[in-house]
Amino acid sequence: MASSSTSLKRREQPISRDGDQLIVTPLGAGSEVGRSCVYMSFRGKNILFDCGIHPAYSGMAALPYFDEIDPSSIDVLLITHFHIDHAASLPYFLEKTTFNGRVFMTHATKAIYKLLLTDYVKVSKVSVEDMLFDEQDINKSMDKIEVIDFHQTVEVNGIKFWCYTAGHVLGAAMFMVDIAGVRILYTGDYSREEDRHLRAAELPQFSPDICIIESTSGVQLHQSRHIREKRFTDVIHSTVSQGGRVLIPAFALGRAQELLLILDEYWANHPDLHNIPIYYASPLAKKCMAVYQTYILSMNDRIRNQFANSNPFVFKHISPLNSIDDFNDVGPSVVMATPGGLQSGLSRQLFDSWCSDKKNACIIPGYMVEGTLAKTIINEPKEVTLMNGLTAPLNMQVHYISFSAHADYAQTSTFLKELMPPNIILVHGEANEMMRLKQKLLTEFPDGNTKIMTPKNCESVEMYFNSEKLAKTIGRLAEKTPDVGDTVSGILVKKGFTYQIMAPDELHVFSQLSTATVTQRITIPFVGAFGVIKHRLEKIFESVESSTDEESGLPALKVHERVTVKQESEKHISLQWSSDPISDMVSDSIVALILNISREVPKIVMEEEDAVKSEEENGKKVEKVIYALLVSLFGDVKLGENGKLVIRVDGNVAQLDKESGEVESEHSGLKERVRVAFERIQSAVKPIPLSAS
Amino acid sequence: MGTSVQVTPLCGVYNENPLSYLVSIDGFNFLIDCGWNDLFDTSLLEPLSRVASSIDAVLLSHPDTLHLGALPYAMKQLGLSAPVYATEPVHRLGLLTMYDQFLSRKQVSDFDLFTLDDIDSAFQNVIRLTYSQNYHLSGKGEGIVIAPHVAGHMLGGSIWRITKDGEDVIYAVDYNHRKERHLNGTVLQSFVRPAVLITDAYHALYTNQTARQQRDKEFLDTISKHLEVGGNVLLPVDTAGRVLELLLILEQHWSQRGFSFPIYFLTYVSSSTIDYVKSFLEWMSDSISKSFETSRDNAFLLRHVTLLINKTDLDNAPPGPKVVLASMASLEAGFAREIFVEWANDPRNLVLFTETGQFGTLARMLQSAPPPKFVKVTMSKRVPLAGEELIAYEEEQNRLKREEALRASLVKEEETKASHGSDDNSSEPMVIDTKTTHDVVGSHGPAYKDILIDGFVPTSSSVAPMFPFYDNTSEWDDFGEIINPDDYVIKDEDMDRGAMHNGGDVDGRLDEATASLMLDTRPSKVISNELIVTVSCSLVKMDYEGRSDGRSIKSMIAHVSPLKLVLVHAIAEATEHLKQHCLNNISPYVYAPQIEETVDVTSDLCAYKVQLSEKLMSNVIFKKLGDSEVAWVDSEVGKTESDMRSLLPMPGAASPHKPVLVGDLKIADFKQFLSSKGVQVEFAGGGALRCGEYVTLRKVGPTGQKGGASGPQQILIEGPLCEDYYKIRDYLYSQFYLL
Repeated sequence: MASSSTSLKRREQPISRDGDQLIVTPLGAGSEVGRSCVYMSFRGKNILFDCGIHPAYSGMAALPYFDEIDPSSIDVLLITHFHIDHAASLPYFLEKTTFNGRVFMTHATKAIYKLLLTDYVKVSKVSVEDMLFDEQDINKSMDKIEVIDFHQTVEVNGIKFWCYTAGHVLGAAMFMVDIAGVRILYTGDYSREEDRHLRAAELPQFSPDICIIESTSGVQLHQSRHIREKRFTDVIHSTVSQGGRVLIPAFALGRAQELLLILDEYWANHPDLHNIPIYYASPLAKKCMAVYQTYILSMNDRIRNQFANSNPFVFKHISPLNSIDDFNDVGPSVVMATPGGLQSGLSRQLFDSWCSDKKNACIIPGYMVEGTLAKTIINEPKEVTLMNGLTAPLNMQVHYISFSAHADYAQTSTFLKELMPPNIILVHGEANEMMRLKQKLLTEFPDGNTKIMTPKNCESVEMYFNSEKLAKTIGRLAEKTPDVGDTVSGILVKKGFTYQIMAPDELHVFSQLSTATVTQRITIPFVGAFGVIKHRLEKIFESVESSTDEESGLPALKVHERVTVKQESEKHISLQWSSDPISDMVSDSIVALILNISREVPKIVMEEEDAVKSEEENGKKVEKVIYALLVSLFGDVKLGENGKLVIRVDGNVAQLDKESGEVESEHSGLKERVRVAFERIQSAVKPIPLSAS
Repeated sequence: MGTSVQVTPLCGVYNENPLSYLVSIDGFNFLIDCGWNDLFDTSLLEPLSRVASSIDAVLLSHPDTLHLGALPYAMKQLGLSAPVYATEPVHRLGLLTMYDQFLSRKQVSDFDLFTLDDIDSAFQNVIRLTYSQNYHLSGKGEGIVIAPHVAGHMLGGSIWRITKDGEDVIYAVDYNHRKERHLNGTVLQSFVRPAVLITDAYHALYTNQTARQQRDKEFLDTISKHLEVGGNVLLPVDTAGRVLELLLILEQHWSQRGFSFPIYFLTYVSSSTIDYVKSFLEWMSDSISKSFETSRDNAFLLRHVTLLINKTDLDNAPPGPKVVLASMASLEAGFAREIFVEWANDPRNLVLFTETGQFGTLARMLQSAPPPKFVKVTMSKRVPLAGEELIAYEEEQNRLKREEALRASLVKEEETKASHGSDDNSSEPMVIDTKTTHDVVGSHGPAYKDILIDGFVPTSSSVAPMFPFYDNTSEWDDFGEIINPDDYVIKDEDMDRGAMHNGGDVDGRLDEATASLMLDTRPSKVISNELIVTVSCSLVKMDYEGRSDGRSIKSMIAHVSPLKLVLVHAIAEATEHLKQHCLNNISPYVYAPQIEETVDVTSDLCAYKVQLSEKLMSNVIFKKLGDSEVAWVDSEVGKTESDMRSLLPMPGAASPHKPVLVGDLKIADFKQFLSSKGVQVEFAGGGALRCGEYVTLRKVGPTGQKGGASGPQQILIEGPLCEDYYKIRDYLYSQFYLL
């Protein structure tokens, strides 16, 4: 492996090398969190994983580095899940670039993608120039997105791929890509822990050659789910039973649904709480509820079994809340509100009015972005600044209970140990966390067979895969299994990355292709004796057979067993042959000959002497041409003593026998090159082996 | 060299009986489909019973009785124990179909072929796959890959592809190439040249399929005509298959026209069916999933259809014209039969059949032309026992109970004696208890009371009766009492309590009333009486079967052009017809085996694998043609280090080969191409193409429909010597690749 930061645009490398080089380049999420986008190229196939934007930036700055690649060269774009940092630059990429490949995501992701991005466009308050796309672009992009079901295998231009459950959010997928037998796993965000509604990320059936894996949690370890849930419900139960209010600021989709499930179930099991209302205040979540109620099949068995009785996403104790005006704040209640960072909006309004009462509580359920109020209050300052600029004492209890659905260190290392990929590429993690993770993982794989890479954005990782090309010889050609030294000749058909060799007349049997023979018949006006033609033809061609046509009884000639010349009537001659380049040429010369006869009847017969002479001259000419071509190819070419040509390249010497085409050289590479070059020159100079038929 | 493949039909050849076929691939036995008919005729399953135990895997294609009806019975009675593979909808809807069948039967007869528990256990271990999921079998089937693909006939319906060593065996029955409201068309045509295709000839003779729009119009017109004159419309339907399409049509039409006539969907499982179907959007047509993605409109949120699960609700419905969709389609059982008997004598009513009834059923009888004026129907009903019968029954039960209890206690004593005997020298004081509890389970309810006091029956052995007792000595080491950390871990169960007590036992959801019916153990009996029903209502049959018609079947098979073809599931004439057609046009290997006749369709294809050396490949120049690339290779065979044959470049110049033109010329396409180049072209007689003034071009030789067995194409171009001739020849050459 060699990791160098060559620009991807410089790809004019020799074709033979290209075949085996695999390049992975993060265009985003390389040693950072946000704007996931990883480019991969192998054997002329280009794949892009995810297409996110960086939530901390705006406008073009938030995009992944798309200018590193040529969007029109991408064959397939695979989106793992609907989060902004994984899917939000998709409308831009589809509508504003030259990309014309195919896009895939799961059903649930597609349904939520639209709602989420439409909401995103509405909420993000940026200037018109900074707008990357508008609602129309999103709608247009919906038509181009294709859906893929979990485990369904799809093949595009020879790239095979399928996806596994990733566990992170509803519809989240890990993609396994198979190009010519080399497998690449891209995890996206994943979680190996089963929760209330989602399955844990599956362990793929096959071990990949490369695993591109997220490293958000770095070396952290999560608390067990049950302890987290217990803390969560205990805090809520004790707060509301003392008459307090609970505020849960959360992002609208993903974890929020999990928390609602916990709450609804807890309420169902505690009848004493039934008079205390639970609200979720997010129009977006309300809209997406239909999606959650529908794609039950993407969830875990627990939900599916519950579904057998009633839809668990039809909540019994939780009601939606449209705005703060509809909220009658009279007693204890539990409110889940957006945004998760308490920057503004409903969650902030509620926070402002509740923060000074010590009976109340605020539960922060997940990862908080630096600089937001939610991050600030985790450290429990004495006072906070309200939205109206005043300060107020922070008396409410603040709890941080992480329900983050990213794999922690324990999950990541067991996952990788089970898969044992020889190459691991870490993405989607903060640079320091990522280095720590890399160090710790290296200690887990001490045998040195595993390479762990942490490329930065636009930094390419290059790997070489020596993939064997296997072909299947089928049909008549395979009736006898050949021994060493036998020859195999036939049509090689390549479809995707599978090769088959077959006899030409069986092409239509084993493939969708078919062969054709084109018979040509041409009539030429000719007045004169047929014998003249025969005489002339015999002068020029080596083999002319006379016969008579069976049907009409007219005389016919067969030239080189290819072209039949027939006297159709007194004024016409017909030529018939089956098309191939040599026959076409033979027939052309016959046509010319016949036309000549009719134009200038008697003509002097060419002298034998001349013919011999011209042959000699021809021979010399050929030699000259061969020499000149060899010089242009190899530079230093001299005529050796024994009539052989001596070719020197970089100190290596090769001797070429012009007659037999044999090459002697100690350097096998040079020998091969000279041999091939000479063969090609020969076939260019003497293209038509007339003797063969 | 090839993979060995044998096909043995177990049921459903040369007739329209249920489908069930044994396909054995290199010794691994697949049972593909496991159908039964609505009459539950056990004689149909005899062939299956002989092979059931040797089956290694079961593949199910569609969620109806004809394709999976016998599964519970075969699992319970015939010793079938292989894993079952199906798509999620086939599993779910199939389960509901079987529930409905059972409950319908139970209502009218002492049905004892299988029970609800048998259905549950048969469906419990179904391995669910998604479309195009390549599932690699392990163990005995190592190397075999199975994958379901869209069939287009019913929700989740699949054609199965079984692959081993690159050879495909495809099982495709009841597919539909036409896109419908809720389903996409089949993807069968995407498979090309499989080694074996097993398909049905069911519709081979059926040709005049009307266009969808016209058919829908007729369908709705017929219904509304009868409703407007105050009649009722009955559509006998299946439980969870084709009925979905009908519901959508009606629903759509009702919203467009603003009809107020009620529509009822009446099966024992109707509400669960629709609930499940609502969550199966991934499996439906593109337009349905698109409408959900963009506007979150679930097509199966039915606004005009009322779901009913018992007949009383229908009887209580407000009087007036209505549309009722009720199971079973065969009219052999279920609500449809009851309703038919009630409605048949009113000429205003309509019974609308949407599929051909199964052979020998009431529905089939009514579909015959001319329809019968009277039909003899045996109506049965389950009624609770009353009066003397009840007393007699109870006495009988009590007597049985007593006998059983007596027997049980005798057995018990023997066992306790035995176990006590062994007890003396073993140190497991719990043995008595485990034995007895085991017996409680074994000896069914009635003996329960007796067993409770069983522990106190003095035994004849020398040991005095006592409760088992453990001396709980705790172990200590240097750090104190040894504890088991597991005892202190918060248990998973606690968190999932809610789910456990809801979900657990019954696999599928049953409606409350149904559940009560199912659990209703009140003594009851079945009374039957024969009725002569006057059929004066209109009987209409329309094709909503969702199967491809004869012409499409032929062109589909021609397109797939399998190397070998096995025909099943059709009456003799249709099978013979399609067999002849395929023999003439597609493949010389067409088989139509009889029941239990094994045909060997092992492909006689020779093949071996070689490695393509880097040296050879660097000299090969590929030409792109469609989605494949072709090149000519001349090579010499060598060996690699791993002793694999490898192709190396020829040491000397290769001997020249006969040039090959590769490409598929379609005269019509070529005509367009020429005219785009400014050449005047027109079709002359006999399929010839006249190009310009003088040159003609035609295909000669045998003209097969497409590729197939017809061999290479022969094209003849003729004309006088002129410039046009060479120009057109050049255009013609441009359509081919020369190798």
